[in-house]
Amino acid sequence: MSDSAYLSLEQLKLAYGKTVAVDRLDLAIKQGELIALLGPSGCGKTTTMRAIAGLLAPVSGHIHLDSRDITRVAANKRSVGLVFQSYALFPHLAVFENVAFGLRLKGMRGKELEDRVQSGLKTVGLSSFASRKPGELSGGQQQRVALARSMVMEPKVLLLDEPLSNLDARLRLEMRAELQRVQKETGVTMIFVTHDQAEALALADRIVVMLNGTIEQIGAPEEIYNRPNSAFVADFVGFENVFRVRAGELDTETGRFALGGAIPREAQGLAWRPSMVELGGGPFEGSVRGMSFAGGTRQYLLDTPLGPIKVEASAHLPTHALGAAVRFDLPVSIAAPLQRFG
Amino acid sequence: MFQNRAEALTLALPAATFAALVFVLPVIVLLSGGLHVEGRWTLEAYQRFFADPLNRLVIWRTLELGALVTAAAAVIGYASALAIVDLPAAGKSRMIGLVVLPLMISPVARTYAWLVILGRAGIVNKALMLIGLTDEPVRVLFTQTAVFIGLLQLFLPLMVLSLVSALENMPNDVIPAARVLGANWLQIFVKVVLPLTREGLVTGGTLVFAGSVTAYITPAILGGSKVLTLVTLLYQRVTIANDLVSASVIAFILIVMSFSANLLLNRIATGRSLK
Amino acid sequence: MTMRQPAIVVLGLLVAFLVGPFVVIVAASLSAGDTLAFPPQGFSLRWVAKVFAEQSFRSSFALSMFLAVFATLAALVLGIPASYAMSRYSMPFAEAVRTVVSSPIIVPGIIVGLALLRYLVAPFGINVVVALFLAHTALVLPYCVRVVSASLDNLRSDVEEAAILLGSSRLGAFFRVVLPNIRNGVLAAFILGFVTSFDQVPVSLFLSGPGVQTLPIDMLGYMERTYDPSVAALSSLLAFLSIGIMFVAERFIGFSRYV
Repeated sequence: MSDSAYLSLEQLKLAYGKTVAVDRLDLAIKQGELIALLGPSGCGKTTTMRAIAGLLAPVSGHIHLDSRDITRVAANKRSVGLVFQSYALFPHLAVFENVAFGLRLKGMRGKELEDRVQSGLKTVGLSSFASRKPGELSGGQQQRVALARSMVMEPKVLLLDEPLSNLDARLRLEMRAELQRVQKETGVTMIFVTHDQAEALALADRIVVMLNGTIEQIGAPEEIYNRPNSAFVADFVGFENVFRVRAGELDTETGRFALGGAIPREAQGLAWRPSMVELGGGPFEGSVRGMSFAGGTRQYLLDTPLGPIKVEASAHLPTHALGAAVRFDLPVSIAAPLQRFG
Repeated sequence: MFQNRAEALTLALPAATFAALVFVLPVIVLLSGGLHVEGRWTLEAYQRFFADPLNRLVIWRTLELGALVTAAAAVIGYASALAIVDLPAAGKSRMIGLVVLPLMISPVARTYAWLVILGRAGIVNKALMLIGLTDEPVRVLFTQTAVFIGLLQLFLPLMVLSLVSALENMPNDVIPAARVLGANWLQIFVKVVLPLTREGLVTGGTLVFAGSVTAYITPAILGGSKVLTLVTLLYQRVTIANDLVSASVIAFILIVMSFSANLLLNRIATGRSLK
Repeated sequence: MTMRQPAIVVLGLLVAFLVGPFVVIVAASLSAGDTLAFPPQGFSLRWVAKVFAEQSFRSSFALSMFLAVFATLAALVLGIPASYAMSRYSMPFAEAVRTVVSSPIIVPGIIVGLALLRYLVAPFGINVVVALFLAHTALVLPYCVRVVSASLDNLRSDVEEAAILLGSSRLGAFFRVVLPNIRNGVLAAFILGFVTSFDQVPVSLFLSGPGVQTLPIDMLGYMERTYDPSVAALSSLLAFLSIGIMFVAERFIGFSRYV
């Protein structure tokens, strides 16, 4: 692992009973980074997060935090915070006592405790809610209490499990900004788990895409978005036309197709977003099976010799009717080359 | 879910050991008494028990009572539960309170009331004589009918509660939907309500049946020695004849009945949680 | 909303059938006559007074109270950790443990009483009160486990994990977070266990000895000997006690949700 790593996972293997959830995972995270663990459900992202928190003991491998091997350190002695997807507030305690819970266990009392809790609540904008019970708060408020409860402990790493998934669209944007602000103000190393690529792209410094218990790709949002390295990642970030490449040609179920342009030698596959497909001319022809209007664009589903192709074209261009034959091109120059396929 | 198995066993073992020693072991020894007679393993005790027509009559009567009480509870239970779920919220919870209440009151007290009601000088007989249906008091006490009434009153609440919860879990608006599609009330009940509340019916039915066949107080007070059921027969065999072998056979039959009822219940419970 | 006529009739009959008998015994117990009758002959409190004067009732009541309180407490002490283990851990033999712990609810009480008398009390010379205590604890245990387990299952386990991540020990998390949140469930389990033990007849039938009887057994015996309304008076008193307990329990913890 690199020297600058603050939190590192080495050859981590995690299992529930006999079911292996994560296998030989390596990951290095720098201090102050905001990392997204992105993947579909069952990919091992939550399991990995629970292992970092100490709620799940690894089968093998190591976890280092701040130059210390914490693999066998108990969860209550790790200085790792976790904001649960369900918030996991203590229902019998008022907001103030929820936030004070960990501080009291540290032995903090009196004015110091009062000040710390109040400043924690102020950070998340809930100063006036200190005496409410969790059941009297909205989902967004509960989440902010959970965030404050973890943050007042000044954890070395703050983990967040699907932090935005239980909120409605408007609150989600608000909370996104809130998380970024808290992270910027405190400089805490933050790892959040999500299945939503838009959320990961919007928030994270770096994204770790996971599939079947292993890491598919690690990179900055732009990198993941523009240069996915595998068919899975490409599909996950919206490249809806993904093809295998063999011997310089597209290899589809219906046959092989040559493209005008040189395919990079190391590419195992090529992927195009619907907006990258050029409609109205080119070497291929398809017929329109479906069309939908989406404001500034029209989305087409074409039946083609290559299989179904999804296209997004500007709404200013002439409309192609259902059943009409259209020519189109898959320009190699702008396609995303995939280093791995399948 | 925590993973530490040793910790889990430490927490669970005291209760498990206690139940095993104080309960499971003695019961197993009791059961083996009917299979292990005079130093060898044999089914003779069972053959002898079933050969006696009186014993067969008692088994039959016990099952018959259980079935009749269950059937009656189902009919009354549906009528009541359908009426209860239609009540406005406050009335509903008050009504459910009234149904739960008897469950909390001593079965001795509950059964005792029927002595007053069904006795020779009880209200039923007074009423019958008053309207001239009979000159002599009719004997209701110490008949199967008395036991039936007592058991029904004892266990009906279980059926009602079970059906109320089944009806409340029914998807909203299926009854109006069926009504709009032209079904009459009978069709709605048979084709919509019954299939959708089957689990609740079976749950309630199992509780009522198991409770009825294993009840002691009601058949003892209202049936006496004239209307023996398996449980009162067992008590009689032990106290009068000190016949532990027969007692063991009866115990086995009762456990089989109760166990199969509970097996059915568990299957419903797990079936539901899998959904 | 107006109720349909048939519904009113059905519910009226239901209430009459379920609650009517109490009205009858309460009335019968206030009779001035010497034998059990309804309608009562005159009004007097002499039978109620007799219940309190009857030495046998007083001692059997004391025994039943003692058993109900301590057997239920013992069952909770055994049952809460077991419920916690079954609800929160992936435990080996979980099914076996659950079956053993809940078996006293499945096996008819009279068999339990007989088995205990013959194979525990007689051979080991166990004191009758101790035997009753053990039997009632075993009997109440499944109810406690059922109600406490249901409360535990309703409390998400991530609440405990949150407490642990905030620095609490496993045991600390249980007392600081779990117990306060299942408090009503534990209270409901106590009431259910208390009532179950107090009203228990079949289990105590064989175990009660001369001079050592639980109240319901004493009542059964009294009924066989005498046909005066004192058992009616006692039944009424017990019914009012139960109603009182139920009322308070419903008011403060929403008892019927737990049954």
